[in-house]
Amino acid sequence: MKVLHQSQFFTSYQCDKQRCFFIEFPHKTIQLGFCQFLAFRQQVKEINLDSHFNGQNHHGLEMLMLCNRQHFFVFNTLECIDLKEFITGSFAMLELNSLLTTSV
Amino acid sequence: MKDLVRQNLSIHVDVMDLLNKQIEKEAHSSSAYLAMASWCDHNALSNSADFFYEQAAEEREHMMKIFRFINDNGGTAYSPEVSGVNHDFKSLEEIFETALDQEIAITKSIHNIVGKCRKLNDYTTEYFLQWFIAEQMEEEQTMRRALELFDLMGTEGLGLKLLDERIPQIRNKSTE
Repeated sequence: MKVLHQSQFFTSYQCDKQRCFFIEFPHKTIQLGFCQFLAFRQQVKEINLDSHFNGQNHHGLEMLMLCNRQHFFVFNTLECIDLKEFITGSFAMLELNSLLTTSV
Repeated sequence: MKDLVRQNLSIHVDVMDLLNKQIEKEAHSSSAYLAMASWCDHNALSNSADFFYEQAAEEREHMMKIFRFINDNGGTAYSPEVSGVNHDFKSLEEIFETALDQEIAITKSIHNIVGKCRKLNDYTTEYFLQWFIAEQMEEEQTMRRALELFDLMGTEGLGLKLLDERIPQIRNKSTE
């Protein structure tokens, strides 16, 4: 298993043997297929950070369900900011890997 | 490290995002045409109404083409939300002008995705979008043909009624 990207709170891994990804959250690690990783990316993209600061989202929390509702997560504002960076970084690393694989 | 993304997805992730945005645009376009059809129906312009009902169905077909393309190639297509559809129009001429503007916006958006495909070497999607480029050319021609009729026949009274009768022919002529 190889590390794809690490942010302040989260780490993503790729497992070639099982052809899947793992994400390490502060309290647990979950396994995702590529489609589930894409779905997670979409959910994170849809988080509106502005609403955490303009009073629309009073509690400052985001709730996400992953992998066909197998996992339920609650993230605070700091984690949401980090999550966006984490997803961008993980997919940038995947793209870099694609480029390297293609050019070799 | 294996290229798991490529194993699962035949198109580029960024292009997939743009295609999902395009799905939203096509869905909005379909709903906008339905609103136009409704206005025409209420104003006794039945041929124009039929034309816009057909346009609405066509836009939905376009949306479904992209939707299936994303899913068939390992991506995830998202069902779009449609809001902000305008139902207020002043005249049939305004409707066709709005329709032309709408088609131009869709064409620009398709061209933008093709540009992105070229940048990212996503030849699969570029090939898929060739059909849309030709289709958009036809759509724009159809709307322009309708607007030409207003210059020829006027926008009120009997002229408008005669114009409405000519509407079913504009699509056929531009696709011949």
